[in-house]
Order: sequence, then C-alpha cells, then structure tokens
Amino acid sequence: MDLKKSYAVMMNDLNEVFSSKAIYMPMIAVPVFFALLFPLLTFYISTYNLSGIATRIIGTAEQISSTKVNGAVFMSYFAVYILGPTFMTMPIFTASVIAADSFAGEKERRTSEALLSTPVKTSELLVGKIFASLLPTVLLTLVVFAVYGSTINYLAFRTFNTYILPTTSWILIILLSPFLSLAAIGVVVLVSSHVSGIKEAQQISSLLVLPVMVLPFASIFGIFDLTPSFFYGVLAFLILFDAVIIYIGIKSFRKENIL
Amino acid sequence: MAVGIYADRVTKLFRNTVALNKISLSVGKGMNIVIGPNGAGKSTLLRCIGGLYRPDSGSVRVFGKDPYYDDEARGRVSLLSDNYALYDKLPVIKNLLFFGKLYGNSNTETMNMSRIFLKKLDAYQYIDRKAGELSRGTKQKVAICRALLGNPDVFLLDEPTAFLDAASAEKVHLMLEDFAAEGKVVLYATQRLNEAARFNANLFIIKKGRISKSLRHSDLYGSILKGARINIKLADPLTDAVARKVPHFNAALGSNIRITVRNYKDINEAIKYLIGNGAYIVSVDYSEPLIEDML
Repeated sequence: MDLKKSYAVMMNDLNEVFSSKAIYMPMIAVPVFFALLFPLLTFYISTYNLSGIATRIIGTAEQISSTKVNGAVFMSYFAVYILGPTFMTMPIFTASVIAADSFAGEKERRTSEALLSTPVKTSELLVGKIFASLLPTVLLTLVVFAVYGSTINYLAFRTFNTYILPTTSWILIILLSPFLSLAAIGVVVLVSSHVSGIKEAQQISSLLVLPVMVLPFASIFGIFDLTPSFFYGVLAFLILFDAVIIYIGIKSFRKENIL
Repeated sequence: MAVGIYADRVTKLFRNTVALNKISLSVGKGMNIVIGPNGAGKSTLLRCIGGLYRPDSGSVRVFGKDPYYDDEARGRVSLLSDNYALYDKLPVIKNLLFFGKLYGNSNTETMNMSRIFLKKLDAYQYIDRKAGELSRGTKQKVAICRALLGNPDVFLLDEPTAFLDAASAEKVHLMLEDFAAEGKVVLYATQRLNEAARFNANLFIIKKGRISKSLRHSDLYGSILKGARINIKLADPLTDAVARKVPHFNAALGSNIRITVRNYKDINEAIKYLIGNGAYIVSVDYSEPLIEDML
C-alpha cells in the first residue's frame, strides 16, 4: 500500500470539505458555540437557580439539603454527566457529515469515475477517505472539549474557588470520541453502496446518536451510573463494534459502490 | 498487430438491463473507434476495459492483465468519461496535482505536463480557476489533460469532444492521432458518423450491447451510403429525358437531381454522366443517416 496516495486522497477530500464555508462553518461554529453556551447555562443554574432545577431533577428541597448538594457539586455533575454525553454526539455528527461527503459525495457529484480509473488501490482509497473524516473530527472534538472544559473550570474557579475538570469519566468521554467517529464512518462505508446521495448517508449514520442521547437522561433518572467503569465498558464495546463494522465495510466495498 | 485490449464474451448487467451482451473484441495499437447510438453500451464497454466495472461474465484483458483487479494494468490505462469528473470546488491546478499524485508523478512533473497539454488545448489561462466556474468545453479540456497525466499506453475516450467547438475538437483529434502514431492504443467512443469518418481507424459498431460490425475506416462509407439519397445541385435544370437517365436516378426537383446509391462509387458514376451531358455541378450533398439506421 502506497501511503502517499492515501495521503493525497485524504488531502483532496479535506480540500473539498474546507473549500466550502457552507459546509465547514456550521460544522465548526455550532459545536464551539454550544461548548461556550452550555457551560454558561450550567454555571447560571448552579449559581442562581440551583434549588429550582435541582428540585426537579434530584428531589425535594429537604433531600437536596440532606445530600449537601451545592453549586460546585451540581456544576460538576452537570459538566460531566449531562454535557459530556451531549458532546459525545458531536464526533458522530461531524464524522457523518465529512464521511458522507467523501463517499456518497463522490457518487453524487460523479467525480469517482476519474478517481477509480487511476491506479489507486481500494485500500489506499479507503484509508485516505477514512482519515479525511477521522482527523478533522478528532481535532474538532478536542477543541470543543478544551473550550467547554476551560469555560467550566474558569467559571467554577471564579465562583467556587475550585477546578471541576478533568475527571476520569470526562477524560474517558474524550477518549471515546475517535471510536464514535469511526463507528459513524464505518456505517457510511457500509451504506455507501445502498444510498444515492450525501443526505441519505448522513441520515443513516446519524442514527448512531440515538443511543448516545439516552445517556444524559439515563444518568438523571439513575438508570445508568456514568462511572469510569461504565465508560471503560463502552470503550471496549466501541472498539469491537468499530473493528467489526470497518471490517465488513471494507470487505463489502466495491469500486462500483461509489460510481 | 499487438493486442492491447482483449475482451472475451463480456456481459454486464444492471439489474435486469443487459448493457453488454457477450461482447468480444480485440483492439490493437493505433486509432480505434466504437460507434453506436445512445444506450448502445459504449460507455459501459469503456468502463469495463478501464477496470471500473467488473463484467458479470466473460473477461477483459489489458496487455494480458485484468484491469479491474490489477492496479498496474489500470495504471497503463486512462479513461476519459463522458462527464468531466472534476472536483468543482477546487482550482484546476489542485485537481491536476491530485491526479498527478495518484499516477505517481511529482508535483513538478504534473505542473510541466499540465502546462504543455493545457497550452495545446488553449486552456492554460484557466489553471487557477475553480473547476466549477468553467464552461463545459473548458472542463472537457481539463479532463483530457488530466487523463494524459498518467502517460497511458491505452487511452479510452467517451465522446471527448461532445462540448468542444470545432477548432478545439480538431486539436483534440490531432493530439489523439499523434498519440496513436506513437504506437499507443486509442479507443474512442462516439455516436457521430462524421467524427468516426474523421480518423483512419478500426471501427467497432455497437448496438444493444453487441458488436454488430467490425470494419476498417475505408468500409465506413460503403456502409453509411448503402441506400443513401444523394442530392446533386446543378447550375441549370436538366431536361426530363436526360435527368431520368442519370444512373441511380430517384427524382428531379428543379435544378436538383436526387439519386439513391448502393455505395460511394455510384456517386462518381452519376457525376460522370452529368458532366458528360454538359451539366455544371454546384454541390453534392447527402443527409447523414441516423446511426441507428446504418447498423
């Protein structure tokens, strides 16, 4: 396998995606905006509206008082167990957008004929395209988590004189991101032969956010305890899931799929 | 003649549609034309030879290797498809540098080749423009340039001049003739008879997924003109008696004589008779038959 060709495919895909503001601006701006907004909301609730919201979530004012819930504890809980899983959807959405553009986009724009008639191997093509979706997603995820983590810590330190992040669970959530991205990319590779365009591919791979969206609610309602061991379990599952879906995707990928 | 392309009983299906039906052909070095109407299977044939499609049955070999599986074989082939397949959001030069890398060229090599080919095609001035901003004709020129970057031994072209003006089309024809003269294999798909007649080439006539005829260029007019009506315009009308004796006479309409010929040799016979009878010929025209009618 000639990695130079994979690199060329990757750079070409990235050039395509980042040549259009209409694609990359919402992809970057929206998560960064929420990375600022959500911590600010968390801070506001923790500081000014704790009893109201905590009563609704945790129980009565007496229970809150007896469990010694205070602003810092609440902010920590919200920052890790509510916002963490919420931001876990970001790598799925971002990877879906780029991978769908990369695989189904070639089909939709009919650019694949020239690409596939070159001596590029299927493996070189797939590696290039998978990394073209994975790298920007991982980078963007790191940026978003850095923004949201810094905002939380800044606000917490100013008000409660303590840093909240990082916690083990929070770090594990970040570690899950590349595997969530790979899962979304694997789904796009797998469905690329069955879809006719970008939107279909995005919609199918975006379904992966559904189980992730359950996590904050499961945490609130006490269905799952989002402890580090829970995230280790998710990590192990995702590694296995990614390996299987990428393997099936690559094995079932035919050049005609994107023609 | 060395065989560059060999197809043996190639069948390609798209669901229930038979695009190619047990096609067999051998294509040697030099100029070769595949001619047929829309939907005849020309593009599918070229894509099978270019290694994009895997035949459902039968086999394709390019210099003895299967282009679908053999990357080296595909490296010796360039396919110029009927769409330009350019990345519209990227400038022309980025398109070309990308494909140059896939063909194993350095950026300098690609730049030099691009400069030469684009200048030949009068499109070098667009090198920094985004592909999406170009006209269809210019896109086609860029696509031709891209196809040449791999320095191919086999050049497959699917209607490469469809959107070009006459002068640009002729430049492309001359480039292809040079290419064929260098001993490379050129396989050119078209549905235009005049384009097929332009080259001294081997002709493969394709219809409904089958090769219906395989001809030399010199046989083409024999086929095209079989039963064709030729209109001969004269300076003055002939008398009815003289007109009716014109060999292969069909009708006389004022100063126009219409003849129905079996082949191109009959035209000479009629003209010889007309000149012998003192007629002055202004023009000789024929309506090019539909490609469907000559198959």
